[in-house]
Formats: sequence, structure tokens, C-alpha cells
Amino acid sequence: MKVLKRYGALYVMMAPVIAYFLVFAYYPLVKGLQTSFQNYRLMGDRPYVGFTNYSDVLHDSTFWDAMVNTLVIGGGILLFSFAAPLVIALSLNEVLRTWYKKIAQMILYVPHLLSWVVVGGIWIFLLSPDSGLVNMVLVHVFHRTPFNFLADASWARWIMILLATWKEMGYTCILFLAGIVSINPSLYEAARMDGATRWQQLIRVTLPQLGNTMKVVFLLNTLGILRIFDEVFVLRNPTIATKVDVLMMYTFQKGILDIKLGPASAASFFVLLLTLALTLVVRRVTRFDEV
Amino acid sequence: MSDRFERLGWKNKTFDTLNALFLLALMLTMLIPFINVLALSFSSGVASMQPDIVLWPKAFSAEGYSIVWKSLDIWRPLMNSVIVTVIGTALHVMLSSLAGYVFIYPRLPGRKIMLTFVLITMMVPQEAIMIPLYVVNKDLHLINTLTALVLSGLVSGFSILLMRSFFLNVPYEMAESAKIDGAGEFRIFLTMYMRLAAAGLATVVLFEFVGRWNMFTAPVMFINDTMKYTLQVALKAMIIDTNSNSGTYMITTNVRMAGIIISIIPLMAVYPFVQKYFMKGILLGASKE
Repeated sequence: MKVLKRYGALYVMMAPVIAYFLVFAYYPLVKGLQTSFQNYRLMGDRPYVGFTNYSDVLHDSTFWDAMVNTLVIGGGILLFSFAAPLVIALSLNEVLRTWYKKIAQMILYVPHLLSWVVVGGIWIFLLSPDSGLVNMVLVHVFHRTPFNFLADASWARWIMILLATWKEMGYTCILFLAGIVSINPSLYEAARMDGATRWQQLIRVTLPQLGNTMKVVFLLNTLGILRIFDEVFVLRNPTIATKVDVLMMYTFQKGILDIKLGPASAASFFVLLLTLALTLVVRRVTRFDEV
Repeated sequence: MSDRFERLGWKNKTFDTLNALFLLALMLTMLIPFINVLALSFSSGVASMQPDIVLWPKAFSAEGYSIVWKSLDIWRPLMNSVIVTVIGTALHVMLSSLAGYVFIYPRLPGRKIMLTFVLITMMVPQEAIMIPLYVVNKDLHLINTLTALVLSGLVSGFSILLMRSFFLNVPYEMAESAKIDGAGEFRIFLTMYMRLAAAGLATVVLFEFVGRWNMFTAPVMFINDTMKYTLQVALKAMIIDTNSNSGTYMITTNVRMAGIIISIIPLMAVYPFVQKYFMKGILLGASKE
């Protein structure tokens, strides 16, 4: 009673949030698990069917195509979205003129603010064979024939990887820059006293000191792998679909377009399990918890 | 900083020049597409369809904007987006700060359970429960309503923790002494904490504003009535799906580009503030993961 009097208002403040999470986070989770074991129809009864949905998904070659695409595209994004911002952050850090550094940071960050519809729309146009800027440069400057980048299966995955890197590098770069700024300046002083060159300072001081930031960035990027959806949804077309349709796309098609909610839920749970497994592996491998 | 490079030899100078050029090249990959889009949006329909390198409007005209606004009725999805963004952001900030405030009381009974409850939701990606979320929205008769979009991501563990870390910077003794003076919890929250953590509030508002304006997965799932389309979905239909077959209306390039420009104006308008607050927020957020 005393507790209620002292803290009652706080529980009232917390109540809407708890209610929200119950209805829109926990309940769907349980409901999804239940659905994955049901022959879920919109009308009529919904008999339990054991692991049928799961085995259906596992025997669906489209699912495995999606899995491969997710791992290839996600792995590529993971690698490039880690390396590119790191290089840029190091490069920015070497810029001596503050105004140039500020402008560069400001411009590089912009694509992160835009939606995939806008970024995708812009690049679909830039890469289009009939009047896109990239092809116009190829034609007018290099005298080549126009090339339809987005309708070529061998380019498709690369385009997904490179565009995602292009969009997010300015954002991730900030995390690295913040890590660099917080490095103890006396380390550089000591290095210089020992006659270290700029290059040596970068290799021997900056990079090792960035270890923790790298772990955070790597973990954040890993979590993103299985969530790739907007980009593919916007940039895909029938010609390249088999090369770029990721797991989320598979779930979406199964669940929303084909209205097969049972198998779609089963697929969702595979994704969820994979996410948790990946997180654990990355945490273990990078010794994240020892940060 | 300056004494760091006191021995500026030719090697250093060459490096600095190459480094600056490298960054310039990267910036150009962002600037040139943008200039191209802007220039095309102000070109006439015919001129915008001709194959050419366009970095300045050809046959200057604003017809792209008038077509996208009047004939394609882009104001409707725009209004839907404004409604969802404004209401959603306001509610999100309110609920997240309420919860964030609760978590600054270290001796609150049940605090640990509630915190775990919130943290678990952060481990489950929205995408993984997309299908059951669709079912929940269907059961609540929310499919094809803007309410479904407002409710999507209405609170997030991320924002709660972010607000909490801003509130923790407000001296705890202030709340204690106010309480001794007989002020209630709600009053302390509203008059002291919300005011003193204004920077934190701005951060969450901006994050949420940008996120909701760009929200795409939720409207794709929950909305199929074109009257309820948000700007992003309408844009996708207009600039991407019509690429090969233009349907009844011939959508020229300048119209598509005008649509893109209209959709990014609000983002560019808040960008200066984003610069100011995002960095702090990103860093606080990242350190919490």
C-alpha cells in the first residue's frame, strides 16, 4: 500500500507503454508462433498441423534461393558498410581544414535521411538505359553503348550491395569519427615523440583504439542483414527477382500476397531464430560483452 | 591539431591533396545525382525525356510540379503522410518520455522486470513479426486505416532508453526537493524534466519525424486503398511502377523528379536541426546497444 502511494503515479505512467508492447509486440510474437503450427485460413476453422508449415518452407526452393540471396547480399553489405565508412572516417580525420571536413560530413550524411523509395527512384533513373545519367556519361564521354544495369542478373546483387553502402556510409562514418575523437590525445603525442609518421600513427594508434567502436558497428550491421526489405522491394524487377529476393521478401510474398499465413509465419520464425543466432555468434566472436 | 603535422614535406602535401580529392569524388556521387534530379524536375516534359546529361534545367518550366500536384493529386498522400507523421511523432515522444522518466527511479519496485520487458522488444525485429502484426491489425479492423500507421512503432525501446539517458542528466535532487514541496509525479515530469531535457526531446522528435516520413514497410503491408496511400507508397507507384508502362497518364521524367523533390523538402527543412541533435542521439543510442 505504501509502495502504491509513493510510486503509484509512476506505474500509471508506465501502463500505456506496457499495454502497447503487450498488444503490438508480445501478442504478435505468440500469435505468430501459434499461426506457424496452424493451417491458418481467414475464414473457417484453423486446425493445428504440427510442423507441416515448417517442412513446407524447408522444402520450398524459393525459400533457399531467398536464403542464399540474403546471405550473399547481406554479407556483402556487412563487409562494405563496415569498410567504406571506416576508410572515410580515417580520411576525414586527416583533413586539416575544418570547413572542408564539415561540408564533407554534411553531404555524405544526406542519403541516410532519404527513404529507399527516393534513393531507389533516383538510382533506377540514373541507371536507366535510355536517358539515365550514368548511361549518358557512358555514351557521350566514353562512347560506349548504353547498358541496362538493373535488368542484368550478374549486376543485380552488386547494385544492391553498393547502393546500400552508398546510402548508409555517411551515417556509420559518424560513429567511427566519434570513436576517433575520443581517443586520448597523449597517445598521439607519445607516438610523435618517438618519430611516428602520420601513416604509423594511423596504423598503430588510431586503428587499435577504434576496436570497441568497430565491434558496435559490426553488431549493428549484423542485425540489419536479415531485415533488408525496402531496398529490394523498391529496386527489384522480374528480370532480377531470383537474384535479389531476400527472406523478408519471401515472407511478404507468402503472407500478404499469397495469403498463406501459416508458412509465412514459419518462415518469420526462421528469420527470428537466425537473427538471434547471428547476434549471439557476433557477440561471442567479437567478445562484445567484454567491452 | 596544427602541431601534429608540423613537418609538412612534399609527401604530406601530396597525401593531403589526394585525400581531399578522394572525399570530393565521394561527395560528387551524392551531389551530381541530386543536381540531375533537381534540374530535370524544372525542365519541360519533352526536354526531360531526351537522352542527355542534364545538370541545369533544359527549357525551364515548372509543369512537372503542377502536374504532380494537380493532375496526379499528390497532395492527398502528402496530407496522409503529414497526419501520420505529426500524430505518430507526438504520441511516440510522449509515451517514450513517460516510460523513460519512470526508469530513472532506481528504487522503484518492479523496475528490473519492466526494463527487461522493454529490452526484449528491442531484440525482436519488427520485420520478424510482420505477418502476425498484419493479423493483429486485421483483427482490430485497422487494415486500410491511417490509425494502423500511427500505431506502428508507436513506442520503441530505443526511444525509451534514449529519453532515460537524457533524464538522468537532470539532477535527481531537484525532483526530490520538489516532491518534498508536495509536487506530484506528473507535475515534476512535465514542468521540470520535460523542460530540462529539451535537447533529448528534440533528438527523439527528429529521429521519429524522419523515420515516420520515410516509413515504408508498414504502409505497404497495411494499406492498399489508394486514398489512404502515404507519400512514400504513392511515390513508389508513380516513379517506379510506371517506369515501363505509363498506364492512362503519360508520366514524364520531370513529373517523377518533381515528386521526389517534393517528398524530400520536409527532410531538408529539418536537416540543420538534425545536424545539431542527431550526432548526440546516435552516440547515446549506439552506446546503449
